[in-house]
Amino acid sequence: MKVKKVLASVLSVAMISSLVACGNAATETQTAGSSDTQQAVTKTEEAKTEETAASSDVTDTITIMVPPITGDYVDLLGGWISEFNKEYPNITIDVISTSWDDHTEKLTTMALAGEAPDIAEVSYAAIGSYVENGTAIDISKYIDPERLSDYDQNALDYMTLEGTLYGLPLYITIQALGGNREMLEAAGADVTKIQTSGWTYDQFLDVIKNGTTSDRFGFVFANAGATTQDFINIFGVAAGITSSFTQDLKYSYTSDNMLSLLEAVETMTSSGYMPNYAVEAGQRLVMLQTGQTMLTGKAMPLFENNIKRNIEKMQAKDPEAVEGTIEMEYVFLPVPTMDNATASVFGTVDGMIALRNNNTTDEHLQNVLKFMDFLCSGERAATVDNAVYLTGVCESARKAQESFELDQSDENAAAVAYAISKVVAPPTGISAEQSANAKTMMDETIVPKFQALLAGETTAKDVYDAICTEAYKLFGEENCASGWIK
Amino acid sequence: MKKQEIHNKNLSKTRYHMADNISGWGFIGVAVAVFVIFTLYPVISAVITSFQEYKPFGSEFVGFENYITALGNDLFWKSIKNTLVYTVVVIPLSLILSFSIAIMIVPFTKNVQSVFKGIYYLPGIASGVAISVVWLWLYDASPNGIFNRVLALFGTTSQNWLSSSKTAMLSLIIMALLSSHGANIIIYIAALHGIDNTYYEAAEMDGAKFFQKIRYIVLPMCRPTTLFLLVTGVIGSFQVFMNAYMMTGGGPDNNTTMIGLLIFNNAFTYGKYGLACAQAILLAIVITALTTLQFKLMGEDIEY
Amino acid sequence: MATGLYSQHLHNRSIFYIRNSLIAVFLIAFAAVSLFPIVYMFAWSFGPAIESASTSYNIFPGRWSFDSYKAFISFSNYSLKWIWNSIIVATFTVLGNVIFAGMAGYAFSKIKFRGRSFLFFVILLSMMIPYQVTQVPLYILIVKNFHMTNTYPALILPGMCTAYNIFMAKQFFQGIPTALIESAKIEGCSQLMIFNKIILPLSKTILSVMAINTFLNSWNTFFWPFLVTSKEEMYTIQVGLKTFKFANGSLLSPMMAGACISVIPMFVLFFSLQKYFLEGVTVGAVKG
Repeated sequence: MKVKKVLASVLSVAMISSLVACGNAATETQTAGSSDTQQAVTKTEEAKTEETAASSDVTDTITIMVPPITGDYVDLLGGWISEFNKEYPNITIDVISTSWDDHTEKLTTMALAGEAPDIAEVSYAAIGSYVENGTAIDISKYIDPERLSDYDQNALDYMTLEGTLYGLPLYITIQALGGNREMLEAAGADVTKIQTSGWTYDQFLDVIKNGTTSDRFGFVFANAGATTQDFINIFGVAAGITSSFTQDLKYSYTSDNMLSLLEAVETMTSSGYMPNYAVEAGQRLVMLQTGQTMLTGKAMPLFENNIKRNIEKMQAKDPEAVEGTIEMEYVFLPVPTMDNATASVFGTVDGMIALRNNNTTDEHLQNVLKFMDFLCSGERAATVDNAVYLTGVCESARKAQESFELDQSDENAAAVAYAISKVVAPPTGISAEQSANAKTMMDETIVPKFQALLAGETTAKDVYDAICTEAYKLFGEENCASGWIK
Repeated sequence: MKKQEIHNKNLSKTRYHMADNISGWGFIGVAVAVFVIFTLYPVISAVITSFQEYKPFGSEFVGFENYITALGNDLFWKSIKNTLVYTVVVIPLSLILSFSIAIMIVPFTKNVQSVFKGIYYLPGIASGVAISVVWLWLYDASPNGIFNRVLALFGTTSQNWLSSSKTAMLSLIIMALLSSHGANIIIYIAALHGIDNTYYEAAEMDGAKFFQKIRYIVLPMCRPTTLFLLVTGVIGSFQVFMNAYMMTGGGPDNNTTMIGLLIFNNAFTYGKYGLACAQAILLAIVITALTTLQFKLMGEDIEY
Repeated sequence: MATGLYSQHLHNRSIFYIRNSLIAVFLIAFAAVSLFPIVYMFAWSFGPAIESASTSYNIFPGRWSFDSYKAFISFSNYSLKWIWNSIIVATFTVLGNVIFAGMAGYAFSKIKFRGRSFLFFVILLSMMIPYQVTQVPLYILIVKNFHMTNTYPALILPGMCTAYNIFMAKQFFQGIPTALIESAKIEGCSQLMIFNKIILPLSKTILSVMAINTFLNSWNTFFWPFLVTSKEEMYTIQVGLKTFKFANGSLLSPMMAGACISVIPMFVLFFSLQKYFLEGVTVGAVKG
């Protein structure tokens, strides 16, 4: 079912409404920015022509470090660089390509050595450590404000710490659940309704209970090793935890919401609706494809493509199809919502940040920002967004996306739109230290304890108590949320 | 004047010869240059950093703050404990295993020995990246996991392997024992071949049996080798982090958090490079103490 | 030779054969266990060349083909160059260690020169510092001061003469009788001549053990080559293999194929050095 991607305008409205939902102060600028984008774009073009004249006689070299954001990203980048060079022939771009697994380690080493690339791809959660060591750069001084208004404020908020903007967003990934329509409906789920208006945790529990059989799990979440963190982030929204910090900047994993989340996990694993062993990231999709589970997470909209391709192979008797593949329709679903919690969906922003190195000068940074903006907007961003089945986070990318055709069902497109509208950006006042401490808490306390909970070796209450003890030590009890948040 | 006297006294006492000084330094010249530039300089730099709140552009001197933070951290102690458990189990077992296998390989003809050595060396050869992926499959905790299928053959229920705090460390230990003995076996075989047959002949005349020969000839003769393998093995084991990093991420309830992983995370994930350096120095002190102890226990009059 | 350790049972050869057969059975059984992961890797290198999230639930691939080998070679323009790079890096690292660590080990054990004890102590001590924290200063040195990114020297120099190998060489040379050296000296041999004419012929075993171990370590090192290379053409095989992993899946079989191909050079080296292992001298044998 091929749908033209004309949902952009609907989505931008959705984005704005989500901004209202999270009560952000910057809403006004955003609304103004996106309502007369046409004008903004024209202005930018004028600005660009002027700048070309100004910068044509100085040469500059910019380094950019990227993991394979899409499989062919480095090749694409090559094309975009030549395109960029037509306009700025004196700016040389050096690309450092990395692998997903080790991107952070290499970037940190380079940053610590004072040799960071000028631009690096990072997930928003990682910005804190670069701010902490003094290599992240406040980009708002160097980017043309007209260009900045192209980006959705909600997405920019992710790239902001303590009110300072450190980078430009590339895409918001919405991470939620994916399932087998037929099985879900047989288990009593009103799939279409869930996709467009969410569901409660009780409904969810009923459905996975009905969906569990002797040779199939109701729900499988990849939670082995480092992916445990995904579960907490993605399923945390069910209990109303949308970020490590509340709007008043208190640490949120000490709230009663967390206890409810942990108890829910205890229920799901001890009842056998969900495996009580760790599932490797790769396996969840295979389990869904072969009917060993009804629902899975973390799931992204782009899985629709993976599943369709695999079924085609199976039908063509291609030996490369996953063995035991069953015919199914993939449905993308939001995470359920518990009582007293506001429905939301976990989103994470990946973007480009500017980093300080020994060549950094103001003039250089202006060039850096030109290229960064070039990559994060228009066709370039649209190409990435399409590859991951997402809608752009800047007006120009959404505009460029209109001409693409995405192989996505109407229902899933609607589910994506609903999910995006429920994404809540983290509060923008978080300090670098808080962010770094939250990361330490996650890696050193929450994830390890949570794994023990999954294995049935401890109780929700014990895990919760351990988290509180550690968090009080790290943040101080007064900086930790208590009671039920929101 | 006085200084000069002491100087002369030292000289005569240790009998340094000019020619030896020249040839000695000539022999170690390149090694020392490489060592100073690529090892000593980074080490000293890390020591300095351990007293700083490190920032690439403007570090601050903070005295012993990093050390105090490190020592006051429960996870630091837990990771030392984990590493110690891992080392105490893996190193002796792996040495015994390598030694026994080496002993079992030597009675064969040269060609057969070559084949066995090749086979036992192979697990060490295979690439680190690909082999850790394989081990993750083997330890897959679902009933379809390879090890779980093997257990099922014996009628045992599926194990949680890496995701249970009861078996995670054991899983890492099994992995280490099955994949790291190749080099040790080769070194032991070399050592066994170095024992002159006259020793055995003399022992046989005294009526010594196989195990007596092992006890009174092979073990003492291989002691320097054992000491070398023990010392480097312990050092390596204390610094190990790839297994926890690739396999468990520190895994259930921090039961597989190795000190190496903690240092790595602090340096590269949390950006607390100064703290990481302090932890590394503390670790170095522990390792040095253990190494000295090993030299003492093995009775080797090693001259530093 | 070590044959004297075992009774040759000259009076009753059948006991000899039975004993050796039993040992062989045990050795083969244990080898089978430790080789299993390798066999698994080898088997899956013949699996399908598709991006898969994980293996299927089969122990072995359903259909065997060379597709993944083709996919490995065509994955990047430089797939085979990665192996070549690893060979160059490992070869020079081995040469550096065998020559310089060998010489240093000899000097530390047999030449009494000023500063010897202190220097050796410092070298031993440097082994105690975990490499994780020395990577950053080393990176600053190589990249910022020497401007060596994407060069072979950046990959080779830091590992060219390791403390481990100096230690190992010293332990070994200590076992060579000092009398041998003293008498050569009296006959007017210089230390260099002694090393070339007397020591080297005695140390083929230890140097080949050192060579194969150094080669292996260099071959399997990931993090350092990953740090100092940014161009695909300069990757080593380990860095290259990591690029087969993506965010939501991996080219598993091609990765295994690459790993299998990369084992070949090491096997060649292993078997070409094999005969020296059998000549045998103790590492740091009893004092002569």
